[in-house]
Parts: sequence; C-alpha cells; structure tokens
Amino acid sequence: MICPRCDSDAAELLVKAPVENAWEVYLCDACNFTWRSTESEEITDPARYDRRFKIDPLSIPDLPVIPPIPKLVK
Amino acid sequence: MHYRDLREFLSLLEQENQLVRIKESVMPEPDLGAIGRAAPNLENGPAVFVEKIKGYKNSLVLNVQGSWQNHALMLNLPKDTSIKEQFFALDRLWNDYPVKPVWVTEKDAPVKENKIKEDINLFDILPLFRINKFDGGFFISKGAVISKDPEAPDDFNKENAGIYRIQVKGKDLVGIQALPFHDIAVHLRKAEESNEPLPVAICIGNDPLLNFMASTPIEYAQSEYDFTGALKGAPIELVKSETGDLDVPARSEIVLEGNILPRVRKIEGPFGEFPGSYSGARLQCEIRIHTITHRTNPIFENLYLGIPWTEIDYLLALNTSLPLYRQLKKDFPEVVAVNAMYTHGIGVIISTKSRLGGYGKAVAMRLLSTPHGMPYSKIVIVVDEFVDPFNLPQVMWAMTTRVRPSKDVVLIPNAPGMPLDPSSEPAGMQTKMIIDATTPVAPDVGRETELLEVPEKTEFWLDYLKRAMRKER
Repeated sequence: MICPRCDSDAAELLVKAPVENAWEVYLCDACNFTWRSTESEEITDPARYDRRFKIDPLSIPDLPVIPPIPKLVK
Repeated sequence: MHYRDLREFLSLLEQENQLVRIKESVMPEPDLGAIGRAAPNLENGPAVFVEKIKGYKNSLVLNVQGSWQNHALMLNLPKDTSIKEQFFALDRLWNDYPVKPVWVTEKDAPVKENKIKEDINLFDILPLFRINKFDGGFFISKGAVISKDPEAPDDFNKENAGIYRIQVKGKDLVGIQALPFHDIAVHLRKAEESNEPLPVAICIGNDPLLNFMASTPIEYAQSEYDFTGALKGAPIELVKSETGDLDVPARSEIVLEGNILPRVRKIEGPFGEFPGSYSGARLQCEIRIHTITHRTNPIFENLYLGIPWTEIDYLLALNTSLPLYRQLKKDFPEVVAVNAMYTHGIGVIISTKSRLGGYGKAVAMRLLSTPHGMPYSKIVIVVDEFVDPFNLPQVMWAMTTRVRPSKDVVLIPNAPGMPLDPSSEPAGMQTKMIIDATTPVAPDVGRETELLEVPEKTEFWLDYLKRAMRKER
C-alpha cells in the first residue's frame, strides 16, 4: 500500500477498530506515518496530501537526531 | 483536599458546571481535535467528556485544565478567583514543599484493577486520534512519563515525572521527544552510555495537580510528587510499577510500562507545538510497551494544543511565572507580581514599585538574565506596582499613558532566543525588547500627573457584587 505522506510502497494495516468494524489504521514502515481509513482524502490520498508536509524517504537519515546518542562508556 | 484523582476532579467540575458530557457517538477525526480547540475558545472553557467514540471502547476527556475557572478549582479555590489571586495562592502553597507521598498496596491502587502483559494493543485501551491535521500520527499529549536516574535508582528526588509528546507508532511501540535540557534526557544519556534500556511508565488520566507539576520546570533533584503533595495539601498515593521499580500514581487511569530502546532513533513528527506552529520531523527515541495496568472503564485524558490560548497555555502559565517571580523578588523586593503566561514566558509583564529612576529597566534586565528568561523571554513590559500584570486592559493603560518611546523602549540585539519561536533568527538568537511603562521617579523626571482615586467603599461593593453573582445573597 502507498503511504500518502512519503509515497513509499511500505504501508500496511496496523490495526482494525476494537469495536463496530468502524475503521482501519495503517502504518508506513518507511516514514512511520499513521492514518485512519475514515480520515479525509487530504490525509489518505497520496495525490492530495499537502506538499508542505510530504516526506522524501531518502532524506530521513539526514534528519536531526534528538537527543544526540552519547559515546559508549565501559 | 476536595478531590483525590481525575475522576473526583471531574465530578467537582460537573458540580460547578465546568464539564460538558457528549453522549452521542463522535468520529475520532476531525471531531476530537475540533472539540479540544473549541472548548478553550469559550470564556469559561469546560472540560469535555466524550462518552462514545466511533470504533473505540473507552471514553475520553479533553480540556480538563483549559480555563481559569478549572485552574482555580484545581487549586481548591472558588472558580471565579482572579488570576492574580491564583498566582499568590500558588506562591503560598509552594512554601509547603515537600509533602512526601504515601505508598499503598495493590488492593488500594485502582490503577492495578486490570493488568495486560501480552498481546499489547494500545488502540484497545486508548481512543487515539490525530490532534492537528498534519501531525505525523496519533499523539499522547498529556502523559506523565516516570523514569529514574540509572546511577541513583534509590534517590526518590531524582525520579522524574515529565510530560513529553508521545507518538503512537505501533500496537506496542511509541516515540518520545526527550529534548537535551529535559530531565528524562539526563536519565537516558546515562542508560545509553552503557547500552541499557531505560524503564519508563507513561501515566495517563492523572491527578490534575500532578500533570501541572509534571509541566513545571523544577530543579533536577526536586520531586514532582512532593510538589504535588504540597499543592494538594495532602500526600499523593503511589504504588510500585509491575517492572522497573518505578513509583506510579495509584489512582491514575492508565499506566503504560515499557523501555526506551537504547541508542535507537527513528523518524517522529511533525507535531503541532505550543508556539502555535508545527515542529518538523526528527529522529527521536522509541519505547516498547510491555505492560498496561488500568482502572476498570479507563478514561483517556488527552490535550489539544493550537494557536494560543488552548489548554496547554494553562499548563505553562502560573508555573512559568512563579519561579521567575521568586528569582526577581530575591534581589528586587519591590517586585509585586510577574505574569510570564505568554507562550511559555516569551512575553512577560512585571509589576514593580520603582526605587529610583530607571528601576523598571533594571528589573527587566535581571529577568532577561534568569535561567528561563535568558533564552525564552523576548518582550518584557514593566508596569507600576498598582497595575495588575494579569489584567491586560490595565497593562495597555500603562503602556498608553506611561511610555515615552524615545526613553522607555530598549532593544538588545543578537541575544539568546528560543529556537521554537518562529521569529528567532537564526534559531536560538533573538533581539530582546524592554518596554518600561512605570511612572518616572527621581532622578528621572516626568510631567506631574495626579491619578484618579478609587472611591471609598469600592472593596465593600466589589465583595457584595461577587457574592451576589455566586448567589450567596
């Protein structure tokens, strides 16, 4: 399944609604985006997801690291 | 003490007409974020208890602390107590620190009524939802995270309770933002230096005073639990976590226990943050949840944050003002009160009597060199001792009738700034502005002005009218 935010083909079903079979939640393995099937198309449709918030999967390793990982101390 | 936990506080709010129940089923998106935004827009913003959310089993409460009325009730004060009176009440309660907690057995700890130790699925327990439209996922925004100093596991004062944003990334996996200046980051660094997981307990649906203190920047070796006891006027009840030897509130709704995975950082965010804008995606820590304990029919308490004012602003208001007030008061006893409620103290109003000409500017410069004021505070307004700094019309009166712009407005360029302030440029640098709106005193000179006086018996009639409004007459 295509992730609406990063367009990777890495999204899978995470969970179904605990009751009423009301919705499903999907999780993108590439960018950790989660969304619910009942959200608006501006969230669920890769073509309509706001470009300002799109993520390029190739840029993820270069994001700032918070907090920094310290050196190992014996 | 009028309430012992969130449930009792919600009952109090309901009695005081400060809680609204929504009985019809609502959609997680966009309704829950919209409710969280709408409630504090009301003058006397109520808590909102959402009984049924489509697809979920449990209920949700929003905006528990999202008005001055609810804030006053949290402090066991009448709901119409003015902000300035709440400030001084908090100052008095602060002196009672520490009030040590008591530890209860499991049978007296409602949070132990139900235990889940396998097949963890956070969605089964928490009605999770997207808070703001372009958040990277569903966030737990009002969980108090408990952790211990790995080098001092028996030092209770160093056990930390802090509210950090938490992004749900799996049925049993969450991300957490631990900024380097946060206490939990000290614990994490020590654990990661030896490649050890850091045990944490995420406590949800807490006594509102615990959430208040978990949002307050107190010293590293001061206990949020001991402060909560001081503000409550009674000890908070704790119980041991299932694993990790942590102390958790016995009367909270839900506790998620897990470990921060050492030396792992994965993409988290964006998330709509307190200055009213999104903070970007970052590589941040993750927690694997292995145990959940919860009360029967647990209530998920969460927090909406948006362009101020929303609920989070009440959790960054008087608890930001009070430490600054105490630091100023030490060297400048003429200071009457400090209002640092605007965007976590980026904007501050100080009320002081002037000992000599230019005193207002001196007080402002001291504020700008306090540990919090140095990076955060950008605009400092100083008013006379008879101006209530929490009453913005009064402050505007002082600005319009006291300020001589050529003498009283000072800019300090290229000083420390708050990176999350979007006007800080480069991030972390800022120009400071002092506006001295005090009346000039010698050797400074100003035009002679005779102020109008408050009519005799005004206090009597103020009290009369207040009680009439409360229907005591």
